Amino acid sequence: MSAPAVRLDVAERTLASGLTLLAVHNPGVQTFACVASLDTRVADDPEGLPGVANLVGECLDEGTKRYDALQLSAAAENLGAMLEGNHRGGVVMCPAPTHKKATDLLRELVLEPTFPQREVRRVQSEVLTELQAEADDPRSVAARRFRRRIYGDHVLGRAMQGTVDSVAAIKPKHLRQYHERWFRPSGGYVAASGPFDTEETLDRLERAFRGLRGATPAHAVYPEVTLGDASDEHLAMPREQVHVFLGHAGIRRTDPDFYTLSVMDHILGSGPGFTSRCSRKLRDEMGLCYSVSAGIAASAGEQPGTFTAYIGTSPEHREKAVDGFLAEIRRIREQPPSPSELQDVKDYLTGSFVFALERNSNLAAYAIRAKRFGLGFDFVARYPDLVRAVSVEDVREAAERHLHPDRLTIVSAGAS
Amino acid sequence: MKMDLQMLPDVDVVELDNGFRALLVERRALPVVASVCWYQIGSRDERTGETGLSHFLEHMMFKGTDKFGKGEIDLQTSKMGGSNNAFTDTDSTAYYFSLAADRWETALEIEASRMRDCLLDPAEFQSEKNVVLEELAMGEDEPWRPLYQAAESTMFQTHPYHHPVIGYREELERVTVGQMRSYYERHYGPNRACLTVVGAIDRKRARQRIERLFGSMPRVDDRAVAIREPEPTGERRVVVKSPHSVTRMCVGFPTCRMGARDDYALDLLAHELGNSKSSRLYRRLVVRDRSVTEVSVMNEVRQDPGGFFVMCELHPGADPSKVEAAVREEVAGMVADGVASADMRRIRTQIESSFLFQDETVLDLAMKLARFEAGTPLGFRTLADVLPTYASLTRKELREVAARYLDFDRATIAWAVPAAGRAESTRGAGKTSKKARKKPAKKAAKKASKKPANKAKASRRKA
Repeated sequence: MSAPAVRLDVAERTLASGLTLLAVHNPGVQTFACVASLDTRVADDPEGLPGVANLVGECLDEGTKRYDALQLSAAAENLGAMLEGNHRGGVVMCPAPTHKKATDLLRELVLEPTFPQREVRRVQSEVLTELQAEADDPRSVAARRFRRRIYGDHVLGRAMQGTVDSVAAIKPKHLRQYHERWFRPSGGYVAASGPFDTEETLDRLERAFRGLRGATPAHAVYPEVTLGDASDEHLAMPREQVHVFLGHAGIRRTDPDFYTLSVMDHILGSGPGFTSRCSRKLRDEMGLCYSVSAGIAASAGEQPGTFTAYIGTSPEHREKAVDGFLAEIRRIREQPPSPSELQDVKDYLTGSFVFALERNSNLAAYAIRAKRFGLGFDFVARYPDLVRAVSVEDVREAAERHLHPDRLTIVSAGAS
Repeated sequence: MKMDLQMLPDVDVVELDNGFRALLVERRALPVVASVCWYQIGSRDERTGETGLSHFLEHMMFKGTDKFGKGEIDLQTSKMGGSNNAFTDTDSTAYYFSLAADRWETALEIEASRMRDCLLDPAEFQSEKNVVLEELAMGEDEPWRPLYQAAESTMFQTHPYHHPVIGYREELERVTVGQMRSYYERHYGPNRACLTVVGAIDRKRARQRIERLFGSMPRVDDRAVAIREPEPTGERRVVVKSPHSVTRMCVGFPTCRMGARDDYALDLLAHELGNSKSSRLYRRLVVRDRSVTEVSVMNEVRQDPGGFFVMCELHPGADPSKVEAAVREEVAGMVADGVASADMRRIRTQIESSFLFQDETVLDLAMKLARFEAGTPLGFRTLADVLPTYASLTRKELREVAARYLDFDRATIAWAVPAAGRAESTRGAGKTSKKARKKPAKKAAKKASKKPANKAKASRRKA
């Protein structure tokens, strides 16, 4: 089955400061989105204070040089815009006619936050309550423990929000220092998508973000992530269900097996509907769960992600579910999928990627990803061929290389 | 800011003799098509002893028909590079597809086949019942769902909105495939459905296919008129003992039908009260008092009169009685003062923008058209009047609507408080206890002014 033909109109401009601007022309829409994504990382948190980067993102919209928190949100609301900060910058989405003023608000949020003490204290206590709510949620508890087990003391094992102790210890000066140090132009991107000519958009972005100056310091070098030993842990919580995570360290987005593993994931546990082997077996045939998945490619980023299988089930089914996952992991390592099974997944992947290009915010994020991972703007045109090139033996070999059933970390939380 | 927005797209209407209606919109930005088949069948149509059947049946509609065997609907969709899903709420069940433009018509064949010819295989029924029971268990573990369900069950005591969309465990365990078949045959038919198709389509060809596939379907009985919920005679209170350590509150007021003029007024009032950082409750509870981490307000309109809900998540240590008093004060303040002119402009802009974002994808637009077609007396054409109606509401009218509906003598106040052994006090909370289902938390004040999704909803899988 042929893939839908899509060609994107994307333009780029790199400023002397090192900031790269990207513009996507999305004709016929009445909306606009702009995304700022700077070269910051979770590991840039100051030593001993995990959670600073996250709190910076949460507090960017709590006041700028021109506006206090309520004035800033009112300014966005008056434009019909949604404005949000995050630890890499921020995003604004708005009706197309208000895009100039909305982009200006994003600039203020990214370049000129003031981190007022009173608001920082309030947001800090909101994050602490969020951590408490997460500690009540067995799925979150298991997910957090699972990452910790896999990454150990490695920086990737840290929770983005930090811990109750570390968040409580953060002061506004830490946020200002982090912002001053890391919100720099080099290695960063600002991308916009809307119904406007790309050169005009680039001109506007340049005027808005040329004030972002200075050099980005070198990031800490991460040690390599290594595979841990097999382990199995259950955290008892009084609930109806038990949430089980099973897996190990995964791959980077730049891994040469990335596309083969994307295909493998869809056969194993990430397929649409209930077409994957794990869904068919554990949900459809055995009726063990409502929610089940397994995959390695989706979490691949600048740093290694995880291979993660997940199921939420009744406690009496925990072992059956783990055995079911294990059987499917072994099977995909040992036997190539059937040609028709592979073809079904290829048809899905080559036909469905176009749906990720419908929203302006997705298009802007896509342009950034294409640059950050060196995919090229013609990636959407090349992607079907990359998927079509995968053979049944490629899938088996990649599964054998990247899935390790004898080194699985299993963590569950919830009912016993 | 004045925006010139296109609210009502160019729609081709297909109207068949058997009552089936389809709305076709051509949109060619990308080679994609979305279809939504929206049935006027929901938990409101269930009788005692068969709660949850609408949602359970929605699951079974993917388990095989006369033309598409077990697993074939998902497999065919996947092979075509598309996606599908479905959801059930109190009033409706909707099935939807997103497919590439050169293969979307398979969605029509699937919808036609399962409108009357779902297999309902007994073995599949048993296996899927376990999946539904797991879904129910998952919902019971969620922090908001039992609270929201307790509020709904207390607010609606006569109307079938009383029972959870997913049903009661005991009734689901007992329900038979025969009961499901009878329910299916009673309710699934062309006059209870509408179809919307949006994307890169040939409208003439689509019309012909629809006429051929759906034209011979037999009608079923029209939807029964539901019992009207009597007006509450005083404030109602309910407390859910929760395994979660954070205290949460839900206040509900019974309101009006979807599409009524008061519905529009309540939308504006929901924004004024709690759906942005500029709102009364955010400024009071989150910024000034610092007693609450999240607040959101939903105007949850339905085909029969629905509810207006205020939801708060308390900081640890915050005094629930003070939070409740503050909510009462702010609601009373809004009833007395109404909405200032500048705020009216801001809120209207937010609402206009939210409608615009509901058109971003072909599926968004197909879903919006179907919701208005099925849920409002004038159908999708209501969309042409939406923004003028918001614009025509006066401050005086908003005060009157607020006074009519947001009266605590009509309110249901529900609390979820930590069960014994969890850290938190229950001061200010009420007496009875009830356990139920539903409602995801939402950082509404952090988000844009999108109209909140229907919270009394269950889906075949998580989106």
